[in-house]
Amino acid sequence: MTATSRFLPRADLDRFFAALAADGRRVIGPTVVDGSIVHEELGSFAELPTGWTADTAPGSYRLRATGLARDFDYNVGVTSWKRFTHPPVIQLTRGRRAGGQVVVESVQAEPPRLAFVGVRACELAALRIQDRAMRAGPLGDADHAARGDAALVVAVECASAASTCFCTSMGTGPEVDGGADIVLSELDEGFIVRTGTDAGAAVVDRLKLRSAEPLESARAAEQVAAVRDAIGDPIPAAGLPARLRAALDHPRWDEVAERCLACANCTLVCPTCFCTSVSVASDLDGVEGTTERTWDSCFSLGFGRVAGDSNFRPKVRDRYRQWLTHKFSTWWDQFGSSGCVGCGRCIAWCPVGIDVREELLAIAPLGAHEGPIPWPLSPAEGRAPASPASIAAATHVTATVHNVDFETADTATLQLATDDSALLAAQPGQFVMVELPGFAIPPISISRIRPDGLDLTIRSVGPATAALTTLTGGAQVSLRGPLGRGWPIEAAFGRDVVIVAGGIGLAPLRPLIEAIVADRPRFGAVRLYLGARTPRDRLFVAEMNALAGRTDLEVAEIVDRAGPTWLGRVGIVTQLFDHAPWDGSLATAFMCGPERMMQAAATTLNRLGVARRDLWLTLERNMACGVGTCGHCQLGPFFVCRDGPVFSQAELGTAFGREGL
Amino acid sequence: MTAQLPLEHEHQSPRAAAANRPRIGVVKFASCDGCQLTLLDLEDELLAIADKVDIVEFAEATSRRSGGPFDVLFVEGSVSAPEQVEEITKLRAVTKVLVTIGACATAGGIQAIRNWFDHEEIRHAVYPEPRFVESLATSRPVADYVAVDAELRGCPISPGQLREFLIALVTGRRPQLPDEAVCLECKRRGVVCVAVARGIPCLGPVTRTGCGAICPAYGRGCYGCFGPRESANTTSLAAWLSDGRTASDVSRLFTGFTAWSEPFRTIIDAHGGPPRSAAAPSETPDA
Repeated sequence: MTATSRFLPRADLDRFFAALAADGRRVIGPTVVDGSIVHEELGSFAELPTGWTADTAPGSYRLRATGLARDFDYNVGVTSWKRFTHPPVIQLTRGRRAGGQVVVESVQAEPPRLAFVGVRACELAALRIQDRAMRAGPLGDADHAARGDAALVVAVECASAASTCFCTSMGTGPEVDGGADIVLSELDEGFIVRTGTDAGAAVVDRLKLRSAEPLESARAAEQVAAVRDAIGDPIPAAGLPARLRAALDHPRWDEVAERCLACANCTLVCPTCFCTSVSVASDLDGVEGTTERTWDSCFSLGFGRVAGDSNFRPKVRDRYRQWLTHKFSTWWDQFGSSGCVGCGRCIAWCPVGIDVREELLAIAPLGAHEGPIPWPLSPAEGRAPASPASIAAATHVTATVHNVDFETADTATLQLATDDSALLAAQPGQFVMVELPGFAIPPISISRIRPDGLDLTIRSVGPATAALTTLTGGAQVSLRGPLGRGWPIEAAFGRDVVIVAGGIGLAPLRPLIEAIVADRPRFGAVRLYLGARTPRDRLFVAEMNALAGRTDLEVAEIVDRAGPTWLGRVGIVTQLFDHAPWDGSLATAFMCGPERMMQAAATTLNRLGVARRDLWLTLERNMACGVGTCGHCQLGPFFVCRDGPVFSQAELGTAFGREGL
Repeated sequence: MTAQLPLEHEHQSPRAAAANRPRIGVVKFASCDGCQLTLLDLEDELLAIADKVDIVEFAEATSRRSGGPFDVLFVEGSVSAPEQVEEITKLRAVTKVLVTIGACATAGGIQAIRNWFDHEEIRHAVYPEPRFVESLATSRPVADYVAVDAELRGCPISPGQLREFLIALVTGRRPQLPDEAVCLECKRRGVVCVAVARGIPCLGPVTRTGCGAICPAYGRGCYGCFGPRESANTTSLAAWLSDGRTASDVSRLFTGFTAWSEPFRTIIDAHGGPPRSAAAPSETPDA
């Protein structure tokens, strides 16, 4: 690394390009295409946007000739560098299903060796922020990490400011303080060159540049200082995360939703937004199946859609609030920083000119901090700390169907055989992603953990689950997991246990019940309350009847609608313990069922004295990646797939049961 | 279905499997046949698909009519004449899955612009001898008359979406037909936004994706041939586009192949109906 700054005369830019490209690197840099400065592969620096800048305003970006010979006299164009570290589409897996045999494997492309030229301070911060998000684990995104690690970053310090810039408020610029291999500051006659890494120094050393004169360095410093002054401090960032989350019911969300097109442009031009969806493709024979990961957005209706066509964010106001509160508030909980770098792309490229700065000032003005904060700002008490990320491609394990039991007309339990040690070490409450190549890949809770495999209890609600429930012995499926945080069984040691299950919600509770029964002396009184729609929808009937016959357990059942042969109770599950004589303060409760049922049950349990920190529930969300990198299952500061699916009522705060989150 | 079957069919004999080949029909109403041509344009795949299904009726390819029954019936064209009302009702009765294809069948088509005008006036403007032509006062989507199970949008439909639909059909999975905005496809492709960078009016933010963002990729604004997307906020977009444009100019932008779809129709109504004059040169699609 060179401590001293060097000087690259403008006439020597070609030598710099050659040095960057010397060892086969492809150079990605700015160039003018279709009315914008974009980032593309360059054949030479002759393609740089020499003499161009852009005037930006909410909803508008216009190139303007400056009449100057500068190459980097603009701020940010439409393309963010995530196009190269987090490409719009990548293939994730290829699978094959023939004659019942299933194989799925990860596809990992060799990352291209690229040099990124023209990276601004805000964009450097964005690369770091997105990298942190994609490595947050428990399983980091291997593709993202490899692409980022393979890139050589040549930063350029801004010499002017656009009207949409606010890096100063976000603490990301305009000065480049690190994170780049090489840093350029452009003067009329050439560039001040600094290096930040050995890799950068190796390139610069080849150029045999003279040292920069102190006066030259001083002019560069003045230039960037003027940029800072020009931007000022448009968004008071101090306390913003808390102010925003206290404003979840602000009327402004409705007002901005009237203007917002929910077109997703803001999220796709954002250099840190990382949300994706997985799509499947198959051939006509249904033999070859592939999955692709594609940029997606929390602004699209489909992003909040879950099985049964319900949707967590049906309204545009929900989606705008999700985006803004994640970017500026809950991003801190998840990744330890703001998700915004102040590049201003979302302002310029909004087709109707919504200015995030204006919205923030209206929704979360300085000083306003009146509403209750729905989630604590630090990770909630009792949550396991995030495990260090291991960066490896996802492992897909083929398991063989040993037996299929139909529990009800539409629900089957698949007994799967596997010798995969990770799967066999699954904990009660965890889930697996289950794949038949060519079909959508549902997350399925584990309903029994056996020494030689797992049980999955699946309700047929669509083509993928229909295909799974109609498998027969000997057929194979591909599993990825175990995933998520399960039931904290140790939290109930020495205490009474209350278990509340609604319908298929009994499936993820079954391994917990079995673990408690196997270790019965460690617990006080154990009470099971089971609800089902009709007697025919009861699950694991023989097992539950056997449990009911034991003297050391209390089992009560109820159905919504009785049939002619049902002699038991009829009603909703909370009626089973509405007037219970026991003291809830001595109990740890575990529950799973429809969200509405769990809300009602939680209210009743709290009234009986069950503390919010002792009430554990599992949430169904649109879990797609299973490791917290696709964004689908976000709920406030959590990714349900990674931080849950099991949460305590205390952790969820007011997010539990709240619509639109 | 033959060969590599999903497991649930494996116990079937080849003869039984052949009997299970879905019976497919393709029929047309008021339309240009362009969507049917998309099916023929699948070329290589068409043979493989034909191997998996029985195409019992295909208006563009053969004059043979089957009368049904159909497992899947693709319907092109809008309902525009009295006999078509009768015809679609009959077809619905003999069809399990009815799929409308194209802007005419799903939204009423370009011919639905007549819905705003006096029927007789239009007939005289179009036909030299209107007395020989029977037509309805309105051109309407098929869904205004019978229940529709799925739709493929576009003018014409996208070969990629048709392929996806057919593969999903024969393999028994759910077709992936996104309902989001065209903008997502523009951004994924790296197409520079023509609205923001060049001030070209573009319906991409309110239009359903599926075309691959063809028009913006060639420097033109989207003219909404796939019709409204989910959550189409046409009111906000029209308000933004009103800056520097007359009501008639704004109306013209929405008066296209899917003009009769509710979110677009609302804007046209609010801006004085379809424009009566030619477009200003700066607002033509080639601007």
